[in-house]
Order: sequence, then structure tokens, then C-alpha cells
Amino acid sequence: MVDGAGSSIHGITCPACGAALAMRAPGYTVTLVCEYCGSFLDTANPDVRLIARLEEEQQKLEIPLGTRGILRGVEWQAIGYMRRFSNGPTWEEYLLFNPYHGYRWLVGADGSWSFGTMLTANPDAGGTARWQGRTYRLFYGRAKTQVDYVVGEFYWRVHVGETVITMDYVRPGAMLSMEENAAERSWTLNEYLPPGEIKAVFPGVTARGWRLGDTPAPHEPSPFARQFGPWRNIALSAAAVLLVSHCTVGPLGLVGRADLSVVIDKPTVTRSVGPIQLTSPWQGMTVDTSTPAIDQGWTDIDIAFVDRRTQERYEVYSLNEHYYGYDSDGSWSEGNREQTVKVGGVPAGTYDLIVEASAHTWSNTGYNRSGTPVGVTVSVYRGAVFYGNLMLALVLVLLPFLVLWWLQYMFDKARLAEMDHAPAPADWSRGRGTE
Amino acid sequence: MIALNCPNCGAEIVFSTPALPVKVCDHCRTIVVRRGQSAENVGTVAELPFDVSPLKIGTRGEWAGEGFEIVGRVRWSWEDGAWNEWFLTLQGGGTRWLGEAMGQLMVTEERSPDDVDPILELLAQGKDIVIGQEALIYGVRYRLVDQRTARCVSSEGELPFTAPTGWTVFSADFRSGQGDFASLQRDGRECRLYVGRCVDLAELKPDNLRILPGWEAPTYG
Repeated sequence: MVDGAGSSIHGITCPACGAALAMRAPGYTVTLVCEYCGSFLDTANPDVRLIARLEEEQQKLEIPLGTRGILRGVEWQAIGYMRRFSNGPTWEEYLLFNPYHGYRWLVGADGSWSFGTMLTANPDAGGTARWQGRTYRLFYGRAKTQVDYVVGEFYWRVHVGETVITMDYVRPGAMLSMEENAAERSWTLNEYLPPGEIKAVFPGVTARGWRLGDTPAPHEPSPFARQFGPWRNIALSAAAVLLVSHCTVGPLGLVGRADLSVVIDKPTVTRSVGPIQLTSPWQGMTVDTSTPAIDQGWTDIDIAFVDRRTQERYEVYSLNEHYYGYDSDGSWSEGNREQTVKVGGVPAGTYDLIVEASAHTWSNTGYNRSGTPVGVTVSVYRGAVFYGNLMLALVLVLLPFLVLWWLQYMFDKARLAEMDHAPAPADWSRGRGTE
Repeated sequence: MIALNCPNCGAEIVFSTPALPVKVCDHCRTIVVRRGQSAENVGTVAELPFDVSPLKIGTRGEWAGEGFEIVGRVRWSWEDGAWNEWFLTLQGGGTRWLGEAMGQLMVTEERSPDDVDPILELLAQGKDIVIGQEALIYGVRYRLVDQRTARCVSSEGELPFTAPTGWTVFSADFRSGQGDFASLQRDGRECRLYVGRCVDLAELKPDNLRILPGWEAPTYG
């Protein structure tokens, strides 16, 4: 039983350039690409064999091979690196190793990073794929993917130009990637790593999150998704409070009533009712006016609350009218004999309600009702709901949530824009709640 | 427990499992076969090359609620790689193989390959089967994912058979979509079938893992 005498690294010498190389996964590694000269070495057997002698200038990696970092609770060492492309997009993959946990992948594309774990099972896949109870949508259809550049050690015979067929399915937060060649098909679950998380572990990497106007990574979770729920709850609670509180300021009780009798085309009749005590510092007043007998004419009703102490007047006007007749379409009628008007911002005090009413008719019509008496009833209630103000308040309260909703819609539209297949309309909102 | 002396170097050889007839001498790597109370030298295995497997002979753990201990290993290689087959004895007397390849683990049990699926019959006869071919093995639908000729690099500890260096077998691997794994191994006319599934190390609740300098061994409560 060899318990690794002091080191878990197996040192070898590059047969091409003579450099001393560290093999970090001896026993698993079958291909090692020299970090210094790029030569491909066969390390499946103790006697290292040169597969291809190369003298290429080596790239400087953002994560130098041998770097370790703790990701999702386990320490990983970067041991291999390859760059791959597939009709257009190019991305890079670091092979991570821990002898107790096996292999993982760190996949970077355009500054967005994922942590990849190879699956031991095949998800059910077609237009969508299902894995562990979650649905993934096809994002990139079958495409040829080729290895472009490679360095470090690998557990298979990697070579530049190696081609596989790939397919990628996404959901916010994860990508499910299929890879196959003539002999094998494998699946990898690539979990999205927020820029902060990867930067904390490997500070050298270029990592960036989404900004307005960017195209997000295909599986990048919406930065708004997490705020969506709380903001929706805040907005709905605030709206509920607003609605409930308006029930308590609505017309609360009859505080005065005036009955007048006016005659059509005769002088204005005035009636004063009081005193009316208003105790809240400020209140709205609701005034119902009713002229059940008005026909083919109108009633002008001026209502004023007059403060006995200051003679300050709070006025409102009501026009009650009613017309009817016949024409080629049959009978018609228009106008309202009953109206509700409101006065806002009346301070506390002792008031007189002063009602001035007059009734009129159109003298040049065949329906002249001059001289007909018309009863006018004015009922005054403390409290009033101003629906315009209520609507405005509701809009203001819901606005942050609506903005967020729009931002999230735009984010998902941008996220799915690069998809191989046209995104299904309005699908963006589905499954959000289960994030 | 039966203690004998190595017919080559004289070191004590302890057969902890009476049912297992083969043990590789820890000192001189002689393959010792026990016949009653006598030990027979049937050859020598090569030195095991250094690897960073987290397992070793003596690693204990749990499989399907039953305790196990690793008592032996065979290391295989093929043109594009190598893998370990660790041999486990279960507390109840059964045995399993714990395959370790490319950082993945699978636990398998030896089953009869006869009258299972025509594909297995064809493979047993040495016929060529294309990758991707389906087979129904003990109620599970598999696909052939890999086939190769493998060569024994070395072996250690107690084993159910001798595994001399250079021993060559044909090996065909099957996988289901759900993590099941099966492997058929053919040596001349003799065929063995191993059926099981992929596992991860944590699931085996291993204890007494191999200590690898520079790495922190996980502990599984």
C-alpha cells in the first residue's frame, strides 16, 4: 500500500523540452500537455511517451494550473485547461480535481462562469430536458464543438481538433449540456457562478454580471428575480392598506340635509342649514343632490360650507338635468337627476350649509316646462373618497413592482434572444415562483 | 482467519476471509493460492504504479446498510487509460466490486451472464457489437457505452481469483439512463457479468480512507 510518500504529486520530465512537470492526478491522467512547450505526452503508462512534439508559445492562463480554491465547500485544484469553439462562440474550460471528490469543470464564456459536474445518469431530453424534477429548455441545438487549445492533464486522450456533438438546455441558474461522440454520450450540469463567488475563489478571472443592454448568459438568473417576490408583496400589501384605509374615510354619516322647492325659470331659492360640527382636523365632504322632478331642463345647485367663525367658504356646484324624446332610433333620454359631488380639505369648525338652487328649461323647444315646481334635496355626509387620488396612490405604490416586472421581462427577452429556436411568447414568467 | 507463510519470502500471509483463495504477498508481491493448509506460489505481480486513489485496502464503509471493508484490488489498463477494481467483503459474507475510473465510482455484484440478453451471448462469443446497442440486464434497460481489451497492471490483497500482471480480458461496459452500470468481462471462453450502479464516495460513508499529503480527507459521519 503506497501511501504517497510525502507528496500526492508525481513528477515527470517532458521528453520534448526537458521541463520538470507535476502530474497532479497520477493514476487517472492519461494525457499531459506540457505547460512550457505544448507537447502532448502519453502518461497512461509509467514510461512517459511523446505523442506530438510542439513548440508553441504558451498562453498565460487566468487561473495558473496548480491553483487551488474552495468552491461550494470543497477544495479544488485546476489541473487542465482547454479552449473550445462551436460555430461562433468560444469558451474555456478548466478541469478541476480533488482526489476524494473526483473531477469538476469550471466553464467560462464571455466573463460568465459555471461549475460543471458530470452526471452519472441521462436526463430525459427532447425539446426540453428534465433533471431532478426541473425542466430545462433547449438553447443551443446540435452543434459540432471543437478543441482549439489545450494544456495540462486530462483523464482522456484529448487533442487539438477533437470534435464532439453538443447540445445545451437551460433554466435560470443552470445549463444542462450533452456531449457525444461515436462511442459515448455524457451529460454535465453547469451551475451558474455569480461573478462575486468565482472572483472570491479565483481572483484572476475576468467575471462580470449582467448590465442593462448586455446579453445575459443563457442560464444567468435574472438579477431581478430575487427582488421580484418581496417587491410584489410590498406593493400588494401597500395597495391593500390603501384600499382598506379608504373605506374608513369614505362617506361616514349624514350631518345635514336641505330640502328646497324651486320653480322653473323663477328666481334662485336659498336655504341655510346648521350648525354642522366638523371635528377632524381636515375632512372631505360628500354631497348628494337629488331633483327627481326635473324634466326637459336643468337645475343649478351651488353648495357652500361657511365657517361661522372665519366666514371661510368651501364651495361645490352640482348640475342636475334630464331630457328625453323620440327620434328615428326610438326613444332616448339623457342627463342625471342625481349627482354626488365632493369637497376636499375642509378644516375642523362649526359650519352652515348654504344651498342656492334655480331651475331652467329651454324656451325654444316644444317641451317648455316654465313654471313647473322642482323639489331639490341636498344631503351632506362627513368624509369623502377621491377616486382619482386613490388611483394615483395605487399607481405610485405599484410602480416599483411594475418597473421590476418590466426589467425582468426585458432581461429574459435578452437572455433568450440568442437561442437557436425562437422563444415561445410570454414563457418567461413560467416557473419563476419556484426559483 | 488463516495464517500461512509466503512460499517465496516466508513472510506471514493472513487470509482474513476464509472464502477467498488468493492473496498477493504484501512484501514480495507473490501471488499465493491457498490449498487447504498449504500455500502455493503461482507467480508475481508488478509493482503498482503511484496513483492518487482515495481508497486503500482497509478502507471501510457502508453499502446498502451493510458494513464493508476493502480487502483487495486489481488495477487494469488499456491503451487510453487505467482504472481500479477494489474488492469488498460485506459483513454478511457477500462480496462486491468497487470500480474506480475517471474519478467516478461504481459498486457492482457478480451475476450469472447466462440467459440474460442475446447481446451478452454475442459478446460472450466474441462477436462485434456496435456502441449504443441496447440490452435488458436483470430488468434494467442498458446501452453498450464502451468496449475494450484491458490488461492487468497489478493486483494486491485478497481476491476471489488470481490476477497476474499481463492478464488480458475483453471488457464491455453498459450504462442505463439512471446511473445503473453493468460490465461483461471475457477471458478466453469464460465470461463474468457484474451489475450495479454509480455511487459517490459520500454515499459509501467511508472511513479509514487513504491519506493523500496536501489534501484534506473528508469525514463522513
